[in-house]
Amino acid sequence: MDRNIAEKKLNDIFGLHAFYDEQWQVIEKILQGKRCLLIHRTGFGKSLCYQFPATQFEGMTVIFSPLIALMRDQVSYLRSINIPSACINCEQTHEENEDILKQAAENKIKILYIAPERQENITWIEAVRQFKLSMIVIDEAHCISVWGHDFRPAFKRIIDLVKLMPKHLPILAVTATATERVALDIRTQLGSDKIFYLRGSLLRDNFYIKVIKVDSEEDKFGFILNQIQHLPGTGFIYTGTRVDTERYSSFLKRNGINAIAYNAGLAGDLRKEIEEGLKKNVYKCVVSTNALGMGIDKKDIRFIIHTQFPQTPIHYYQEIGRAGRDGEDTFIYTLYRAEDKSLPEHFINTARPNAKKYEKVISILKQSPEPLGERALIKKCNLKQNSFRVIKADLIEQGIINEVTYGKSKKYEYQFNAPALNLTRFEDLRKHRFKELEKMIEFLECDSCRMKYLRDYLDDKADSKCNKCDNCLGGSTIWRNSPELDILIKEFLEGEYPSLHNANKEYCLINGVAASYYGSSNVGALIHKCKYENKGYFPDSLLEKVLSAYRACFQNIKFDLAIFVPPTESKDLVRNFAERVAKALDIPISYNLQKKRDTKPQKVFQNSWNKKDNVDGAFEFKNPEELEGRNILLIDDIYDSGATIKEIAKTLVRYKINLLASLVIAKTVGSVGDSDNVLSPDNLLKHTAETTDKKQGNDNKELNYIEKQREKHPNAYKPWSDVDDKRLVELHKAGMSVAQLSEFFNRNKGAIRSRLKKLS
Amino acid sequence: MNENSYLMALSHLPRWRTEKINKLLVQILKELNLTFAEFFDSDDKDLANTFKLNTKEISDIQDVKNELPNYAYLADELLNQRYEIIPIYSTEYPKSLKDNLRINFSPPVIYVKGNKELLHEEKVAVVGSRDVSDKGFEFTKKITQKLVKQGNVIVSGFAKGVDRLSLDVSIDNNGKSIIVLPQGILTFASGFKKYYQNIIKGEVLVLSAFHPKAPWSVGLAMSRNRYIYGLANDIYVAESNSRGGTWEGVMDGLRKIKKFKMEEYRKIYVRHAAKDEKCANNLLIKHGAIGINDELEVVKKPGPKEKQQTFFDE
Repeated sequence: MDRNIAEKKLNDIFGLHAFYDEQWQVIEKILQGKRCLLIHRTGFGKSLCYQFPATQFEGMTVIFSPLIALMRDQVSYLRSINIPSACINCEQTHEENEDILKQAAENKIKILYIAPERQENITWIEAVRQFKLSMIVIDEAHCISVWGHDFRPAFKRIIDLVKLMPKHLPILAVTATATERVALDIRTQLGSDKIFYLRGSLLRDNFYIKVIKVDSEEDKFGFILNQIQHLPGTGFIYTGTRVDTERYSSFLKRNGINAIAYNAGLAGDLRKEIEEGLKKNVYKCVVSTNALGMGIDKKDIRFIIHTQFPQTPIHYYQEIGRAGRDGEDTFIYTLYRAEDKSLPEHFINTARPNAKKYEKVISILKQSPEPLGERALIKKCNLKQNSFRVIKADLIEQGIINEVTYGKSKKYEYQFNAPALNLTRFEDLRKHRFKELEKMIEFLECDSCRMKYLRDYLDDKADSKCNKCDNCLGGSTIWRNSPELDILIKEFLEGEYPSLHNANKEYCLINGVAASYYGSSNVGALIHKCKYENKGYFPDSLLEKVLSAYRACFQNIKFDLAIFVPPTESKDLVRNFAERVAKALDIPISYNLQKKRDTKPQKVFQNSWNKKDNVDGAFEFKNPEELEGRNILLIDDIYDSGATIKEIAKTLVRYKINLLASLVIAKTVGSVGDSDNVLSPDNLLKHTAETTDKKQGNDNKELNYIEKQREKHPNAYKPWSDVDDKRLVELHKAGMSVAQLSEFFNRNKGAIRSRLKKLS
Repeated sequence: MNENSYLMALSHLPRWRTEKINKLLVQILKELNLTFAEFFDSDDKDLANTFKLNTKEISDIQDVKNELPNYAYLADELLNQRYEIIPIYSTEYPKSLKDNLRINFSPPVIYVKGNKELLHEEKVAVVGSRDVSDKGFEFTKKITQKLVKQGNVIVSGFAKGVDRLSLDVSIDNNGKSIIVLPQGILTFASGFKKYYQNIIKGEVLVLSAFHPKAPWSVGLAMSRNRYIYGLANDIYVAESNSRGGTWEGVMDGLRKIKKFKMEEYRKIYVRHAAKDEKCANNLLIKHGAIGINDELEVVKKPGPKEKQQTFFDE
């Protein structure tokens, strides 16, 4: 097909007049059935390079893309111009996905987007063999390479597949971020001899990049609050952890800025809603871990602020790359203090569990009488789910274990004649990551053009300065809060009490509260001293904190009885503490919650299945009469998975309690990472949250409190609209009870109460 | 570049005889020294002139060309689960199969899982009917134990009766075994679970020569018998009726031994039956098999040559 004819068709189908020369170069090769690698900046129009040829082929084009939001946007765009297209991903129901596969098998779909992880899905495997396939596209192709910044094992399967594909089938790999080393790796893996390779300029000439040097976390809050009011349009704030997304967004909200937190812990439909809101400019900013943004088709993101810098300049380039795709002025800020490097360092050091855990998985599989499923294996090895997944991917990659599908279930096997575990490989990668981190810090501290630095790093040889970054315009900025602002922020940070998202309607359990996170401030250290170093009862300072948390969260509820979790190994510490809490709050205390059998400390168990088994049926209540119709306050020291409290609630609900709430001193932050790695209290917090995002934590059941909440109360965590507020007040005045209101608004009772209080 | 999808597509050409497929493979790879990709680039004219294919065959090739991406998916599924695909032209392909079945019947591709070294060791099969008599049963146990002790690999078709018994005995004695499936290798989930430990220890290899998704069928079971006779160097017959799979297999084997003059290194032993037994064991001995008694000693030399000839002339 010659260019004129193609552009005529382009006009007919897409309503566009012409291709860029670089687009046509690629499209021409694709139409000839060639394999191509295209590296070009975000906003260049890479997607047209496959969308157009896809419309010209007889069969279907399959696009592997890790970005669900992008799939969704592209599909709705393609449908709007009458190109039959669809996507398959984990956010859709099984039925929806099946229906799409059926249509695909009937060749009714021209362009099919699929998440690479789905390749392992059994239904997909069954369906693909019926497809009439015309082209394969690999989006975000840098994920193919372990030398890339975001290697994903699922992409390795795409390569396996591509290698088996007949040579006349066109294949296009695209990415905006790949060094020459990564590009070479991709080309080799795609079959380097005949692949057409095109690299475009990575210059983003509308970016004003600034690095802001700060002295403290409080300065970061202060800078953002001050700056955001002067920034045009809407933008992203990227934090290092999930907890920080909540912190920054609620801080900004409290100060009158329409911010919203977004992270991988949110349920799919809530995320979708936020993405929609973002597109319609409902928010000033979305505060997110870097899970977001990827692939959202919004061209006018006006600013990006990093409160924590990413691990490598490539991550950085990719994250800022999501902004300003319309070519208008775009503002990029990175808040930086030297201590911030401890978080990425920690990620690098704990990216892999220790060798013993690898050996454990191997030996369990070697001894098992039959292949094991994921759950059985995790339980037998007593591993965290995320650790297991890292180990699994590595062991499969090294040819030591093997993932098989028997019938409808996935199993793991030891591989006959497997090689020994190769740890050097991990060490090489670790060193490589540290080098990249050094480069990131070099970027932050450099005094030359920042855009040029990034382009050079990505092997896009830049000859000129951008004349827009802080260094081109006179050097980086230092920010210090005014004393007043500092006080405001400190007060805010101290007044935040972590909610225990453990509400359970069936068990009359409402969300509990903790005085602090275990690991942040000195709370964790104090608990540790008393609990494990025999330094006496929990001190009054902890009591004060717990009482403040209680008042902030439960002041509308009248509790009739306080009980406490019977000890496993800390003797009467909790009992003593509960007595003091009950006394201070003037709630009668009961000693009747007891253990029927011994349990082990929950912290021994690494995953929720083992924790649940540990306490299953372990509790009883000696004098159930005192429970009926009562509001019960359950006191404990540390909240981890919530399995213990849930088990107790399950026991008590039999005696017709009215309500159960838990009050604890500290909440651990999920249960990801590797317990053998010593975490400094400061980054325990950050570490867990981010790791979860990185590992696509949305399928991590242990951490999805909010998701669970949303299942029970579909409107939970939704901002209250004015209409809702008005209605709430009216209905309340009309005599509707909190329970009725809770049902009416699909939110939990606590949320109703606190909203009523706010509105009164 | 991985050639597996092409190979699989050609190997499972519907309704093509094995011999025809093998000859095409030889032509492409050996005589013309082409890659499969180049072969599939041939137009109808080339296919007719160079490869001497008729219209029907050419259309089969064109059809299967469209299915290549689908075979790629299938190959990917297999390889990702560490099944191995061994083409007839590979050095990993068992020599005994080629020697015994020749170009006419050697499967163009085999799929295996487990210790594939077993393919190159000394292999024997103990065969017999599904409903075996007590005597046949005892014989099977005894002979298998002896063969395992000598270090032989037991080739089993995983069929009821003698087949399964010899496999069980081999496994109980920590012997080495090859299970030859009468079905596609992806349809053997329960077996892979059952023999997991034996597989990961390298004691068992599972092998199938059929399309990986093919379900069990009578036709496949019959072909499977041929592969057992092909893989094993020596055959021990515990019990045979005068018709059916065992009988056909043994007779076919005897015929080939003669035709290809393999008497020296390929032997078929048959349990010498007592007079009151109803089986056709002794008839096989008459046709040229080597008789052995319950003590596993040779009891009778092969019968007169003329008689065999008249039988095989058909």
